[in-house]
Amino acid sequence: MSLLALHNISKTFGPLKALSDLSFEVGHSEVVGLLGDNGAGKSTTVNMLSGIHQPSSGYISVDGQRQDFTCRRDSAEAGIETIYQNTALVDSLSISRNIFLGREITNRFGMLDLRQMRDISMHVLESAVHISGIASPDKLVGDLSGGQKQAVAIARAVFFKRRVLLLDEPTSALSVRETDALLGQVLKLKQEGVSSVLVTHNLYHAYQVCDRFVIMSHGTKVLDVAKADATIEELTQHVILT
Amino acid sequence: MNVTDLTHTNAASQRSAGERLHQLLSMPAGAILLVFIVVQLACIIAGLLFADDFRYLSPQNMGIMMRSVPVLGCLSLGVGILMIAGEFDLSIGSVYTFTAVIMAMLVGHGVDAFIAAPAGLLIGAAIGLVNGALTLRFNLPSFIVTLGGLLFWRGAVLLINGAVQVRFDPNPVFDAMFGGTWLGLNAAFLWFTGLCIVFHLLLHRHRFGNHVFATGGNRSAATAIGVNTARIKLIAFAIAGTMAAFAGILATTRVGSVQPGQGAGLELQAIAACVIGGLSLRGGRGSILGVFLGVMLIFTITDVLLLLRAPGFYLDMFIATLIVAASVFNHGLDRRGGAL
Repeated sequence: MSLLALHNISKTFGPLKALSDLSFEVGHSEVVGLLGDNGAGKSTTVNMLSGIHQPSSGYISVDGQRQDFTCRRDSAEAGIETIYQNTALVDSLSISRNIFLGREITNRFGMLDLRQMRDISMHVLESAVHISGIASPDKLVGDLSGGQKQAVAIARAVFFKRRVLLLDEPTSALSVRETDALLGQVLKLKQEGVSSVLVTHNLYHAYQVCDRFVIMSHGTKVLDVAKADATIEELTQHVILT
Repeated sequence: MNVTDLTHTNAASQRSAGERLHQLLSMPAGAILLVFIVVQLACIIAGLLFADDFRYLSPQNMGIMMRSVPVLGCLSLGVGILMIAGEFDLSIGSVYTFTAVIMAMLVGHGVDAFIAAPAGLLIGAAIGLVNGALTLRFNLPSFIVTLGGLLFWRGAVLLINGAVQVRFDPNPVFDAMFGGTWLGLNAAFLWFTGLCIVFHLLLHRHRFGNHVFATGGNRSAATAIGVNTARIKLIAFAIAGTMAAFAGILATTRVGSVQPGQGAGLELQAIAACVIGGLSLRGGRGSILGVFLGVMLIFTITDVLLLLRAPGFYLDMFIATLIVAASVFNHGLDRRGGAL
């Protein structure tokens, strides 16, 4: 049974048909590349899986159970974490406060246990994400580089035991070294049982880490192929020609 | 120790002093704390050197300071939380007067002050909630909504009471609690100090504060992570209204009456104190220590100018300069990403 599946999903915005009869699956410990040119429907698909948009028809399932996400929280509770291009972090808060935002460790009066939040944050950053160059979890997120911000967002997902990461154009603002580190994290998380959907324009990045590729064009799926069955040139041709 | 060692030691101590200064400046309200300390030291030294001409350290002057600070201080605490949540409230000056008038009228009609005062606080909170609901429901700038509130509640004071002052004659216990002296310190100042501590804990040590910073700092991120940002903003509006009413209680108890026009301009002074204290006009950044120091700095500078017998218009010029200088500095911090 697949971990995450989209079943015949269509989505219309007024007269515009953004997605048409889209189906694909994400397996356990699998990295899927969701590829396509601008306007292919990738972002709509991500928003649907994140609970921001709801399907006009069709449905999403997790572990075979139908899910009707009405908000971001529903999606997170089903084990899906979306990491956006600009990441959903607050620059003026510290790393540990960001990691625990919305799920703070508190006593029964709501007072924060800052020491525990700091200790856990540091542990997660060091052991799960292997982030470097962060001296303290009290450092402000606004002072971090793009790659470090992505790592903090991933650390949050790891700590709260998300099972699927949706990475929306995660490498577009990163340096070469940061991109390498991020792709390494995706592979490491895969070994630990966390699946990922990598949404990207960059086929070379996708080809490094993905097990399977779903190529979209004009809101429909045009190819669903395992890495073993396609070369990067063939994938490029599909993206360009469809 | 040879010359090379000495040079290295000097360089190291200079570097550590520089690092300490950098550390202080990057602390929440670090810059305003530094300015405040420098101003206080200058005033204390001048007060000791010229004790007859510059009576900064006289008990009378300290008493005046303690009586002056709490009203603007309480208003600024409420406005500060709202600003960190990313909104403004220009109506607090009018709410402050309106709730004080209602409280004084109730006491005048024989209602106990211990019932009239909570009624005033509830009205303040309700007005704040209305401001918040209008802002959020219709997605309007709070600046516009509360500008309407400023005029509406100012008019409401004249409607229910006319342009005459209302006497406030509470029972002696109430008078002692809010207008008296405890252990040689002004009661209102102690209330303000206590509220600063409560607000500090709420904003920097409580889950609510974390959500306030997140709401003001990046609302879409906070919403995405599951923070109910509309509820946080509504609560912040209610706090601003409640604190305006509380400031009204302190002022009315001190003076013994309410003037219909007494709150005019206080909203801008409160916002100025917050800006001087390092709160970002864009939300998401600031501290209660900053608000406290911002208020204290405004009154210290006003006090110094009065002690120097400067003409009245100098006061506004100095405060204006202080606001612009603080804004320029804060803008620099904003560009760097800001600090909590």
